[in-house]
Amino acid sequence: MKLIFAGILAGLMATTAAKADEMVFTSWGGTTQEAQTKSWAEPFSASSGIKVLQDGPTDYGKLKAMVDAKNVTWDVVDVEMDFAIKAAKDGLLEPIDFAVVPKDDLDPRFSNENAVGSFYYSFVLAWNKSAVSGEPASWADMFDTKKFPGKRTFYKWSAPGVIEIALLADGVPADKLYPLDLDRAFKKLDTIKSDIVWWGGGAESQQLIASGEAAFGQLWNGRVFALEKDGADVGVSWNQNLTAADVLVVPKGAKNKDAAMKFLAAATSPTGQAKFAEASGYAPINTKAKAEMPADVVKGLPDAHVDSQINLDMNYWAEHRDEIATRWYAWQAK
Amino acid sequence: MSVEAQQGIATPRIPAGLGGLLPALILIGLFFVVPVLALLLRSVTDPAPGLQNYAALLGDGTYARVFFNTFLVAAVVTIVTVLVAFPVAWMLAIMPPVLASILFGIIILSMWTNLLTRTYAWMVLLQRTGVINRALMGAGIIDQPLPLINNLTGVTIGMVYIMLPFMILPLVGTLRAIDPMTLRAAALCGASPLAAFRRILLPLSLPGIAAGGLMVFVMSLGYFVTPALLGGTSNMMLAEMIAQMIQSLLNWGLGSAAAFILLVVTMALYALQLRLVGARRTTGGA
Repeated sequence: MKLIFAGILAGLMATTAAKADEMVFTSWGGTTQEAQTKSWAEPFSASSGIKVLQDGPTDYGKLKAMVDAKNVTWDVVDVEMDFAIKAAKDGLLEPIDFAVVPKDDLDPRFSNENAVGSFYYSFVLAWNKSAVSGEPASWADMFDTKKFPGKRTFYKWSAPGVIEIALLADGVPADKLYPLDLDRAFKKLDTIKSDIVWWGGGAESQQLIASGEAAFGQLWNGRVFALEKDGADVGVSWNQNLTAADVLVVPKGAKNKDAAMKFLAAATSPTGQAKFAEASGYAPINTKAKAEMPADVVKGLPDAHVDSQINLDMNYWAEHRDEIATRWYAWQAK
Repeated sequence: MSVEAQQGIATPRIPAGLGGLLPALILIGLFFVVPVLALLLRSVTDPAPGLQNYAALLGDGTYARVFFNTFLVAAVVTIVTVLVAFPVAWMLAIMPPVLASILFGIIILSMWTNLLTRTYAWMVLLQRTGVINRALMGAGIIDQPLPLINNLTGVTIGMVYIMLPFMILPLVGTLRAIDPMTLRAAALCGASPLAAFRRILLPLSLPGIAAGGLMVFVMSLGYFVTPALLGGTSNMMLAEMIAQMIQSLLNWGLGSAAAFILLVVTMALYALQLRLVGARRTTGGA
């Protein structure tokens, strides 16, 4: 008996203790992580000799469990920015070593002491052209069931986006969004609640729109980009596109911190960012990346729609994450 | 089922030697009892010692609704599963053995297919633009797509499909053990087929129904994937809420408390059933 347990323990320790020339990168799987592997991990391994093992999907509960148990097997994790700000406050993250990671060219909106940008994206209004007559032009149209009948799809989880959309649709000016008026937002959402189909992940959002199951919806621009590339008959409005970002963090107590910092430097470099943007349709967080990208790719990025762009306030969300989430899920379950 | 059990004679079995049980006990202790105790501990210590997590759960209308939903879905799924499984099990029990084993193979095979794949397949079938709605609209039977998904209907269909083998298997065992002569005797005594079913077959198959039903009900209570994909947010079940608490809100104390309440209620139901149906019948059916 003892022997067996000793054997299992030894086996576990052998698999969790990555060697010095290895590190683990965790992201959300699917097309996004594939693009990250190709654009960042493979060139990085080739130049540094450090092997990058892929894991995923990102799971905040798991991240916290690892840090709490002081057995951290992830070295770099792709997370949503509002989570990163909250996690840093809770002591779950290592500070970024800016001696290794060059900071000067990073978009200051998406980096801080404990996180560097991974990519930034916009929520855009997308629709299935065969399921919609006319062209929805603003979020307000998504709440107009007379003018635009049919199901509409929104992001299911409590996260920056839907609350802001409801408020914008209700006539709140972009610069007066924060602090969020939750009562007003939920009241507005109540008016279309029975017409909402929720999407929980990017692939689901694509499936809903492409099949016409939902006539329109709030989608990540990269997912619409992929639909268009596949030849799906979708329309997109960048009016009031809402930006949010994913960031890269190093969990507290990561075993390969040095390798992780070097990886971050490569991932946020102009070349790494340019390649990733080209593959995913998401925008680079390095201001020098655009110079390295083909013009037609630049045209399709959120960067090309800055005039009609609204930045979701990650700091506000980090501050009120729990409070909003509690109300959000209670409202959904009603 | 043995003749003894059918006649209700209890024969308590005392294990010959506890030594042989030790590995099993260690396994259960290490992987079931310890984690559950840790869960309980966390639910009363995180973020601070006290019962505030339980107070929050029991005092809030949302959580009450989610609890209610969970039991409603589990009950509906169990009842529908019994209704669908019984004829199939009966057919399997009286079929020629070769045919029965082929059919068994098909049923078991479906259990080996990935759960997510099967659930996604239901999405494709059930959605507004899905196969079923298109066929019905094409045939002119309906004008508007039927709401088959993102609601209780979708959850029930998807979960019944997944739970069926767990009901059929114990039921076939019970039905096969029933002496066919009892039915013939009933017919000879003038019982109509319905009366024979109601007074002979059904009572004799109750142990199988109880065993399968309990398994399906308990499994349904903690189900996550299928309700999450085929259900709407307004019929959210407890497992999904716990996942939100653990993964998204990182409120482990609250999540642990919710999980522990579910565990206690499930155990209580199990105890109740043992009392009503009797331990022998519940466990002896398969």
